[in-house]
Amino acid sequence: MSTEGPTRSPESVLQRRLALGDLLDLQTFGELVKGFAELYKVGVKVFDEKGNRLADIKVGNGDFCGYVFSFTEGRRCCTATVARVKEGPVATVQAAREPLGPPGVPLRGMVTVPCFTGLRYLVLPILWEGDSLGRVVFGPFTPEDLGDLPTSLTDLTPGIDLALAQGHLAKIRRAPEQTVAKVMLHFAQLLEALVAAGQKTYLTSQVHIEATLESNRELEGQNRKLEAMNVRLKEMDRLKSSFLATVSHELRTPLTSIIGYSEMLSEGLVGPMNVEQTDYVRTIMDKGDTLLKLISSILDISQIEAGKVRLTFDGVLVSDVVTSALSSVKPQAQKKGLVMDTKLPPRAVEARADREKLRQVVVNLLSNAVKFTPKGGWVQVVLTDIQPQPELGSAPGYRIVVQDSGVGIPPDQLDKVFQSFYQVDNSSTREFGGAGLGLAIVKSYVEGHGGAVKVTSEVGRGSRFEVVLPAKPPTPGSVISPPASDGPIPVERF
Amino acid sequence: MQLNHAQRELTVKVVYYGPGLSGKTTNLQLIHARTQSEGRGKLLTVETHDDRTLFFDLLPVFFQTKGGYTVKVKLFTVPGQVIHNATRRVVLQNADAVAFIADSRRAANADNNAYWANLHENMRENGLDTAQVPIVIQFNKRDLPDTKTDQELEETRARGKEPVIGAVAIRGEGVLETLFAVIQLAYRKMDEQAGLARNLGLSESGFLDQVFARIDTSGTQVESWLEQLRKGDQ
Repeated sequence: MSTEGPTRSPESVLQRRLALGDLLDLQTFGELVKGFAELYKVGVKVFDEKGNRLADIKVGNGDFCGYVFSFTEGRRCCTATVARVKEGPVATVQAAREPLGPPGVPLRGMVTVPCFTGLRYLVLPILWEGDSLGRVVFGPFTPEDLGDLPTSLTDLTPGIDLALAQGHLAKIRRAPEQTVAKVMLHFAQLLEALVAAGQKTYLTSQVHIEATLESNRELEGQNRKLEAMNVRLKEMDRLKSSFLATVSHELRTPLTSIIGYSEMLSEGLVGPMNVEQTDYVRTIMDKGDTLLKLISSILDISQIEAGKVRLTFDGVLVSDVVTSALSSVKPQAQKKGLVMDTKLPPRAVEARADREKLRQVVVNLLSNAVKFTPKGGWVQVVLTDIQPQPELGSAPGYRIVVQDSGVGIPPDQLDKVFQSFYQVDNSSTREFGGAGLGLAIVKSYVEGHGGAVKVTSEVGRGSRFEVVLPAKPPTPGSVISPPASDGPIPVERF
Repeated sequence: MQLNHAQRELTVKVVYYGPGLSGKTTNLQLIHARTQSEGRGKLLTVETHDDRTLFFDLLPVFFQTKGGYTVKVKLFTVPGQVIHNATRRVVLQNADAVAFIADSRRAANADNNAYWANLHENMRENGLDTAQVPIVIQFNKRDLPDTKTDQELEETRARGKEPVIGAVAIRGEGVLETLFAVIQLAYRKMDEQAGLARNLGLSESGFLDQVFARIDTSGTQVESWLEQLRKGDQ
């Protein structure tokens, strides 16, 4: 039931009762009515169901009706007749009768309404799908058989100048009622065609609009769901990083004790040990160190992802940083018998940077190179002078290149190696250990300095990591944003 | 249902729903062809160049009751193509009953199920209670190869409460039977809600008699169904 319908969307046009004005283009319809009235020389008025006038063309009756209207009683009767044709029932009641139509033709509910002046009107209901949408009023016209002006007029208008009235009357179309009825039925056909076309256009365009609004409503609902989901995902991500940071920290504390006590044992602080015992304790220390590094990496990356890492820039001798990093990977390199080659510029390179983070960048790159280069290979690190760098928009900067003769990286994986926890060989049987965090940390730190890192590689021949850093980082003390996070597009940009 | 006592008017909305090309428009075209022009409006239809329904089809059927009420039964179809879901939902608003036109071919089973689900989803979205709005299922295209057997139709019938009617709409078979069934159920629902028999003096057989008074029911089961209803009244 319409009263019980959902309140969500406004009532569809399909449920509404349409008005005649909705279905017609009133301007062209007005022109059509005008042409029609002029062709047949009879006035035509069109009203909708509420009595609104949609078209009104007067032909010929102005002088006569105006003259009758100038008499008091004439005015009263005229007003009553006009009200009868305009608002009275379109039925054979209240002085109306069935018209003399063309024989054998349905009259579509048309009625004849006589005027007290002897003139006549024909009124035709506009029926559409069982509804009345309004009416067409034809007239007034002079019935062909009208002779003298009737007493119904002359009695009410004492002193009327009959000759003048007849003169005015002559301007009104004189025609047999049957002819006017025929013309009117023709008009009804035209109107029906117009209403059919109008209904189609009106309903389809309105339904199209409603359907578009409906689609929008649906999309907005889905957008809201997605937004809520996105907020939830971000919160989960933050919780994950925070969890990792806490756990790493808690793991590191006991591990430091394990390493510390093993160190004391191996140094014989609590008494001598035999060779085998010392060997075992050293292994504990080594594995403890590896574990500590791994935990530190996890802590670093979780700090980065939580947006908690702040860089502090200072004057740094980059050459010293590189040398110091080299010394920390030297033991592993020596163990594998790798040739370590270093190329530093003759003059010390000085730049603003976060010393510790920069050192870690070089250490991570170097330990990767050492790890992935088989025995007998070589690792090279090159530091350049400060000079304009195309990657930095020609701002002054320096490059650190770490190159090796290792296993290399397949081309389809080159862009993934900087992702957290990514390993080229991710199988459980892989040859090389590690959590896959080193390069992700490198990328974050380098970008935190306003620099860039890129990689080229050939499988089986080696890899080449090239870091470009500005001599003066653009935003001192910036917080490193989490890696690979596509920030939201600002919606209110202007 | 829109029941306007002031204007003495009852408007009933029946929606023909179902997958694309299942024959919804064909059903309306046949009803249009079989109904005398005084008892119906024009068939409003907007099709694309490949004869697919673009918005909806609308065929109004109307009559006057003895009590002076104008009863209008508006038959709508929805566009079947998947992309027109929003239009389907708009057309479905405030439906009093639904004729679900399914394609009888086995290959169309998945489509039928998808649109059955879509109908229920859109009814819910429109605030229509799926338990309250009656649905009649028409299995159309019974003449095509790969069509389901009568036995399979029986199984479908047994699975739910909806009446199931076999049809070959293009030949007119089953079309008026479907119309009869869907209007009968619509009447019962409206009578329950608004007491049509009590308040409008409009009995079930009177209602159906008048709907079908200007429809050529020769050669269909509708004639005997109407006869049975009249007997039931007596």
